[in-house]
Amino acid sequence: MTGLRFGVLLSLICSLALLAWQVLHARSFGQQRPLSRPRGKPHRGIFYSLGPGMLPWEKESAAKHLPTYLAGVLYHAGIFAAILLSLGLAVQVDIPKPLPTLFMVTMAGGFLAGTGLLLKRSLKPSLRYISCPDDFLANILVDIFLLTGLLSVSFPALVSFFLATAILTFLYVPLGKIRHCFFFFYSRVLFGSYFGRRGVLPPESRAKRRDKA
Amino acid sequence: MSRGEVLTAFPTGSLDEKIEALSEGDIQKILAVFREKLDASAAAFLYSCVHCGLCAEACHYYLATGEAEAMPAAKLELVNRIFKKYHSLLGRKLRPLLGAPALSRELIREWVDSLFGRCTLCGRCSLNCTMGINIFTLIRAARSALAAVGLVPPGLQSTVETAIRSGNNMGISKENWLETIAWLEEELQNEVGEPEVRLPVDRRGAKILYAINPREAMFFPLSISAVGKIFYAAGEDWTFSSVNFDVTNYGLYSGDDEAAATMSARLLQAAEELGCCEIILAECGHGFNSNRWEAPQWLGQEQKLRVRSILEIVAEYIRDGRIRLDPARNAKLHTLHDPCNLVRLGGIIEEQRYILRHAVENFIEMHPNREKNYCCGGGGGQLAMSNFAKRRIEAGKIKAEQVRATGAEVVATPCHNCIDQLMELKKHYQLAIEIRTVCEIAAEALIITPRAKR
Repeated sequence: MTGLRFGVLLSLICSLALLAWQVLHARSFGQQRPLSRPRGKPHRGIFYSLGPGMLPWEKESAAKHLPTYLAGVLYHAGIFAAILLSLGLAVQVDIPKPLPTLFMVTMAGGFLAGTGLLLKRSLKPSLRYISCPDDFLANILVDIFLLTGLLSVSFPALVSFFLATAILTFLYVPLGKIRHCFFFFYSRVLFGSYFGRRGVLPPESRAKRRDKA
Repeated sequence: MSRGEVLTAFPTGSLDEKIEALSEGDIQKILAVFREKLDASAAAFLYSCVHCGLCAEACHYYLATGEAEAMPAAKLELVNRIFKKYHSLLGRKLRPLLGAPALSRELIREWVDSLFGRCTLCGRCSLNCTMGINIFTLIRAARSALAAVGLVPPGLQSTVETAIRSGNNMGISKENWLETIAWLEEELQNEVGEPEVRLPVDRRGAKILYAINPREAMFFPLSISAVGKIFYAAGEDWTFSSVNFDVTNYGLYSGDDEAAATMSARLLQAAEELGCCEIILAECGHGFNSNRWEAPQWLGQEQKLRVRSILEIVAEYIRDGRIRLDPARNAKLHTLHDPCNLVRLGGIIEEQRYILRHAVENFIEMHPNREKNYCCGGGGGQLAMSNFAKRRIEAGKIKAEQVRATGAEVVATPCHNCIDQLMELKKHYQLAIEIRTVCEIAAEALIITPRAKR
């Protein structure tokens, strides 16, 4: 068990190091600074992009796919709970009640959501068309991580299985699509900056311009 | 190989034949140019896609056809395969897992078919992407790589070549341009009843250089007269250039940055030579995006002159009381189509609405609108690529339905590419509409005060 606990921490460190390396790799491509005169403020676009711009009433794709959007939120909440639980177990912190129950409920929701998303990817032809093996493997691995985490709360004998899947999951993060846990923020900042600079986002700034006009 | 040599590399034959004839050196060139076009933003975007597919219904091609190939994520994946295989950190090692094949003729064929033939670079997918990936910039990077080996569809390439060779995309000679202006000036003087009305050409020291879409001179002269009338009413100090008057820049669509830079540099040069302090761009979506936002990057220099859309200054004239409009002269029900390059990618969103609020009596928005509006299907160089015309009309169905739902009799749109596409959609989908530019509508409502009475 000590080995597994140590393994969780080590795999997380490896994962973070590899993710940081990938971010540095992306940055090594270089970037020409924008040379046109700005029309809006990039930081306002970034704030919108990371905040209100993600909400279903702002984003048509989320509004049109509300169940998928909510499943995504639930899935990520479950993953976050499972990561916290695995780290808590790895550093042997006593998790105060009612957090274990809360983690369990969140992981259960996350597992159901993750399984639902996996089914959707498997059954919907258009999604299958854009999928590669990584899309399925990442989803299955995380679903197992959530399931073992969920079961380990009720059955302490399963903690070692949970820690083992945590190690596998952490090690897999930088190899495939799960790397978006880092790149999501990077991309949203770039997106917000691009559209903020052009005065397209956030919409409130336009409303002010319109009123001024 | 220079761009000039590329143009003659495949003098005849279809794109398929060109792809078959590609040498190993050409394939390496595609990879090299693609790498050259990747910057830190592009790499971060390509590392980010999770294949969620939520972007699908943001694309008018997918909505109209339901084809999986038309999903933005599918188009992005075509580009991403090459990034993963050749440029990502672990892609080479994990090729089967990540789906990263080598660049083959088959993949190049798919690039041409999907990245040119199923995308208008409208950016709607980016706005709806969970990750915020600017998909259109990555598709353009791939188009650049194809352009480097002469794989731009012939119609689009020919438009670029005509503009480079003759100075404008319609190949209008200086004599014809000056004759057209002289004729329009005379007509305008008769219409306004003022012999002082001028459409000045090469007037040194004018404050504004006004650039048009050459299609206006060829097919839509009323657009030119309308702006001339507004400038006259506002007492504006402006001029045309006798040589460099083209606002369009199809290098934006072909991906040829060198050609794009040449075209944008000409406008700047004309303004500098005439001593103008501002360039005003006619109602042209991609011309605005090119000259306002992209040109400084292509030219590698900061914008020395102010570059604005005609809509910005017409809105300013109204606000400052320099022109007055009578909306009763436009009593029909009007709606507005937002051109992607001007609105979603250009930031000119409220000005056209402000003008129309003052110029028409009845106005109805189509939904969705502003930056969320659907592309009409005329962007991305589609109107120049006859080989993809059937798809273009099919994809335009979404816009046709959007227009029909408003019940409007007049569709205003500040873009001549959009006008061309809307005219085709009108015919194909039997829409009972009239299509006009915003300035044409504003000019109709203009209350002209003779100079002597001012």
